[in-house]
Amino acid sequence: MELAERAFRIITAEENLDSRVREVVPAGDDLVYWRRVLRMAALCHDIGHLPFSHSAEKELLPEGKTHESLTVDIIKSEEMEEIWGSLTIPLRSEQIAKLAVGQKELKDQPFNQWERILSEIIVGDSFGVDRMDYLLRDSLHAGVVYGKFDQYRLIDTLRILPETDEAGEESVLGVESGGLESAEGLLLARYFMYSQVYYHPVRRAYDLHLQDFLIAWLGGQVPTDLNAFLALTDNEVLVELSKAANDPSHPGHEPARRIASREHFRVLYERNPNDADKNPDAGTAVFKAACDKFGNDDFRHERYTQKSSGTVFPVKERDGRIVSSLAVSEVLKNLPLVNIDYVFVSPEIRGEAGKWLEEQREQIIAQLEEDEQ
Amino acid sequence: MKRLQKASVLLSLIEEMRDRESWCGETNIQKATYFVQELTKVPLGFEFVLYRYGPYSFELTDELTALRADSILELEVRDPRYGPCFVPGKLRDLVIGRFQKTIGRFRERIDFVAEKLGNKKVAQLECLATALYVRLEKGCPKDTNKQAKRIVALKPHISEPSAARAVKEVESMFIEAEQLTEN
Repeated sequence: MELAERAFRIITAEENLDSRVREVVPAGDDLVYWRRVLRMAALCHDIGHLPFSHSAEKELLPEGKTHESLTVDIIKSEEMEEIWGSLTIPLRSEQIAKLAVGQKELKDQPFNQWERILSEIIVGDSFGVDRMDYLLRDSLHAGVVYGKFDQYRLIDTLRILPETDEAGEESVLGVESGGLESAEGLLLARYFMYSQVYYHPVRRAYDLHLQDFLIAWLGGQVPTDLNAFLALTDNEVLVELSKAANDPSHPGHEPARRIASREHFRVLYERNPNDADKNPDAGTAVFKAACDKFGNDDFRHERYTQKSSGTVFPVKERDGRIVSSLAVSEVLKNLPLVNIDYVFVSPEIRGEAGKWLEEQREQIIAQLEEDEQ
Repeated sequence: MKRLQKASVLLSLIEEMRDRESWCGETNIQKATYFVQELTKVPLGFEFVLYRYGPYSFELTDELTALRADSILELEVRDPRYGPCFVPGKLRDLVIGRFQKTIGRFRERIDFVAEKLGNKKVAQLECLATALYVRLEKGCPKDTNKQAKRIVALKPHISEPSAARAVKEVESMFIEAEQLTEN
């Protein structure tokens, strides 16, 4: 909320408004109203997360539900409507919801340009404060330095800019040229945190066991009735996990035991650039072959390719011209994209499976999927 | 369609667009893919909503990034004043070679869209793609003037004469595309 407010004040300050985008920004009381909407949206942005965040969201939520749709449900709930309505300047819940999750999650609702820019402050690929916040916080709590960048300089140089100098271009968030290095810092921090923390193989393995535990314990589905949903927190999960680890009759005993006794799955195969040149889905091929050979229970596959890069944004040069970030930053031009492909194996058959893979790897990877249907 | 199969269609579309002098920035690809999927019925499975410069698919943006991560596509900076362009990556031959049947099946439709949109600028693409979006909306009026007005209501910076021209152009593309999809 604090970062969102800072970004808002900077991009709407009179001295920072580019003449080409001025008409997008409301004035007077309207501007004050939207600042409040943005603050509440930022505060509520993550309110719909399940315990332990993304761990088992896909598996536990019914079709069509996501943590973002739950965020919207909570923002628009009766209890919250009362709060929004009781504020000195009452706020409209649908506008808070729009800014909190962005159009990607509210596809059926039209966003005007101003709403799009404000939602970008929170969820934008390049400069979303949600990302700025989680990188800094996670970095601190994980005891790593990768997630740090100069947030103060970055926010101070954020601007609403046309995408290019051509007439008719839409307005988006960009930076003044002096902020380019801090923008590079943010995107590098993101790359490092994804590759070194969020997708670290041991962390992913624990996530898979947690996922299995939650599915087994909750019978495959988390309640989406808001009261029941909000009553389930990390604390309830940790208590149950501890019970399950000590109770062989508990449906979630096996994954809970693996977490509690650190007998987590290990990496059998991970993405290798030489393999990927032959088969971009090499991990899938290894996983399928391993399951065929040893059965499904001892293997898990994790595939993630980065979905948004955030490296392309307008940069305002000192003479007022707009250039593309990639044209002025070799760092951003060459920033790698996170590409993860792990096959995990249970520690019990790790040795045998490893030997088998060493013998079969080339042959397995050469098998591109044949089905063109 | 499977992921790499879809990638082969996107790669072919990008190559055909480039051959026709398209800038091949993300907006060009977004709008061309919208026409390929919605007008010529190639089942790519992207969900389009009215967003930046008209119909836009968040899933397609994600997929274009993921294809870069897999070296199937790359970004190239051609002119500092504009955004980057998409070009085939080092795994281009592997993917194109592998999905010849798929590409063959949709070749005419890809060529058709590239021919119609390849030389268009972003503003023209926005106008045409929004015209197609309006044409596909439930309860779209038959009256072309009303269609043009609807485009202007959705995108107020588009002038009514431009919208009217786009409605006509999309209508004639519809007739041509019907023959393609019947083949």
